[in-house]
Amino acid sequence: MRHAAAVLTLVSLVACGRDEAPAPPSSTSSPTLKVGLLTPGSINDGGWNAIAWEGLQRIRNEMGAEVAHQEAKTPAEFDEGFRSFGARGFDLAFGHGFEFQDAALAAGKLYPKTVFITTSGTSVAPNVSPMVFELEKATYLCGIIAARESKTGKAGVIGGIRLPSIESTFTAFKAGAQSVDPKFDVREVFTGNFDDVGAAKLATLSLANAGADFIFHQANEAGRGVFQACSERKIRCFGSNKDQSGLAPDVIVASAVLDVPRAFVHMANLVRTKTFEPGVQYLGMQEGIVALVWNERLKPTVSPETVAEVERVEKAIRAGTIAVPRGF
Amino acid sequence: MTRLLIGIGAAALAIAVLAMAAALAGHSPADVVGVLFDGALGSPLAIRGTILKSIPLLLTGLCVVIAFRAGVWNIGAEGQFIVGAIAAWMGSPYGTIASMLAAAVAGAVWSSIATAMRLWRNAPEVLTTILLNFIAVHILGWVVNGPLRETSARYPQSDPAASALPQLAEIHAGSLISIATAIAAWWLLYRTTEGLRLRATGLNPSAARHAGINVPAQIARAMAISGAIAGVAGGVELLGVTHRLFERLAVGYGYSGIAVALLAGLHPLGSIASALFFGAFVTGAGELQRTSGISAAIATFGQAVVILAVVAAGALLTSRKPADA
Repeated sequence: MRHAAAVLTLVSLVACGRDEAPAPPSSTSSPTLKVGLLTPGSINDGGWNAIAWEGLQRIRNEMGAEVAHQEAKTPAEFDEGFRSFGARGFDLAFGHGFEFQDAALAAGKLYPKTVFITTSGTSVAPNVSPMVFELEKATYLCGIIAARESKTGKAGVIGGIRLPSIESTFTAFKAGAQSVDPKFDVREVFTGNFDDVGAAKLATLSLANAGADFIFHQANEAGRGVFQACSERKIRCFGSNKDQSGLAPDVIVASAVLDVPRAFVHMANLVRTKTFEPGVQYLGMQEGIVALVWNERLKPTVSPETVAEVERVEKAIRAGTIAVPRGF
Repeated sequence: MTRLLIGIGAAALAIAVLAMAAALAGHSPADVVGVLFDGALGSPLAIRGTILKSIPLLLTGLCVVIAFRAGVWNIGAEGQFIVGAIAAWMGSPYGTIASMLAAAVAGAVWSSIATAMRLWRNAPEVLTTILLNFIAVHILGWVVNGPLRETSARYPQSDPAASALPQLAEIHAGSLISIATAIAAWWLLYRTTEGLRLRATGLNPSAARHAGINVPAQIARAMAISGAIAGVAGGVELLGVTHRLFERLAVGYGYSGIAVALLAGLHPLGSIASALFFGAFVTGAGELQRTSGISAAIATFGQAVVILAVVAAGALLTSRKPADA
C-alpha cells in the first residue's frame, strides 16, 4: 500500500508537466514569444506561486507563447534558471519575488536581449525591472467608503506580518478616509502571521470594542477570523486581494482586488510589442490589474452619494488627478 | 568496498526509479534521463550549476559524517548552517577569513547547545538538534525583519555582505574550502588518535569508555567540529552565492547533507563524489523542469530513494551477519 502511494506520488510529480504539452495554435506574429518563470516554491500552494503559474498559463493560452517554468529555491538556482532562459534566447523571464533581484541583474548583464522582471523589488537595469502592484489605489477607495458610511468615526485595519507592501495599503486606506474626514480615526493591529484565524478574530473584536465599525484586513488566510468577528458584531468590512464577498456576504461591502495573472500577461504584451520601458512597473487601475469590486448584495445599503463619490474618485485616480499616497 | 557498491547501487536505483516513473507518466525514460544528464553536465553553465550546488552539500555532508561517526545523530546541520551564515554576514566587514572563522564558531556553538543538553540532562540530540533548527530559522526571520534589514528597509533581507569569496571561472573559493575540509576530515578520522577515539566512541561507547576514552568529552568535541563545518557551509554559501541574508536562505542543505553522508557510507572522501552526484541530480532536475515541465521536486524524491536504499542495504548486510556481541 505504501509502495503504491509512493509510486503514485512520484508519477504525479512527473505527470505535472504533461498537461502543458499541447500548445495552442499561435495566433500572434511569428517568431513565437518565449517566456520563462521562476517561482520560489511549489506552484500547487494555492497562493503566491499558484497565481504566478496561472499568469504564465494565460501568457501561453492568450498569446501562444512558448513557456517554461522552474521551481527555484536557492540563489544558485535563481541564477542558473535565469541564465538558462537567457542562453536559450527567451524574450522574457519572470522571477516571482523580491529575492530574485540580484540574480536578475547578473543575468541581465549577460543576456541583454532577454527582459528580466521580478515581482516586487527596486532593482532596475536596461533589461531588468520589478513590477509593483498598486493595491493602494483600491484601498484608498475603501477608506473613502469607510469614512462616509461609518457612524462612529472609527475604522480598524488588521495586518498579518508588518511588511512594507501591507503597511502601504494601510497608509492609502487612512489617506482615503481622511480625505473625507480629517479627524477620522483608523486603528492598526498586526497579528504577526498570516494563518492564525483566532488571533485575527480577537484583534477584530478588540477594534470593534474600541468603536470601529469598518474593518479592512491584509491577513491572507487569517482574514477569515476578521469576517467571523464582523459577522458576530454586525459591523462591515472589506475583502482584500480577491473578491471575497462570498466568504461573508452579509458584512463585506466591497473588496480591493488584485489580478496578478493579468499583470504577467500585461508585461508579456509590453515585451512582445517592444513597448517595454525599464523602470519600476507600477501596475494598477489603468492596466486593469487593481480594482474595487462591490458586493452587489450590500451595495444598495450604501448611500447613493457614497457610490457616486467612489466612482468620481476612481475616475480621478485613473486620470491621474488624484495621487494616492504610497507607504514607500 | 561494500560501501562503494551500495552507494553506486543506490544512486543507480534513484535514477532507475525516476525513469520508471517517467515511463508510467508517459514520458520516454531515455529522454528524461538524457535531459537529466545534459542539464547537469552538458554545458559549462550546467557544470557550474552542479559544482555550485555540490559545495554546500559536501560541507553539510561532512558535518553529518563527523557526528554520525562519533555516534551522535546531528540532524541540526540546517540550523548550524543558518547561524553560520548570519555570523559570516556580521563578520564580513573584517574580511573573508574573519567571516569564515565567525561562521565556524557560530556553527560549533549552536551544535554545542545540543551537546550540553545531552550531557547535562540526557536530552536526545536527534530532538534537540531538530528543534534548534526551528529556532535558527526564526532567528534568521527576525534579523532580516529587524536589526539586519537592508538600509532602505524595504524588503526583509540584509544588505549585501561587506566581503565576498574570490571567484575563479565564476566558481567561488568555497569549492576549495569544501574539498580541503573533506581531506582534513579524512585526516582527522583515519590518521590521528583523536579520529581513532572518535570512531571508537561511535562504534561502541562502553568499550571506548573501558579503553580509557572520555566519552562525553569526545562527543562534545565531535559535535563542535560537526557544527563548525555546517557553520562554514552557511558562511561559504553567503559569501559565495547569496551575499545577502533572507528568510529562505537555507532550503534543506542541512537535511540533504544526511543523504550525502549516507550515500558516501559516512566516508569523508566518498562525500565528494556523493555531493557531486546530488548536486548534479538537483541541477539536472532543474533543467528537466524547464524543458519538460517535470517538477524539480523529483530531486527530493531521488534523495529519499537513495537514503532508503542505503539504509535497507545496511540492514540486510547486518542481519545476514549476526552480531558478535
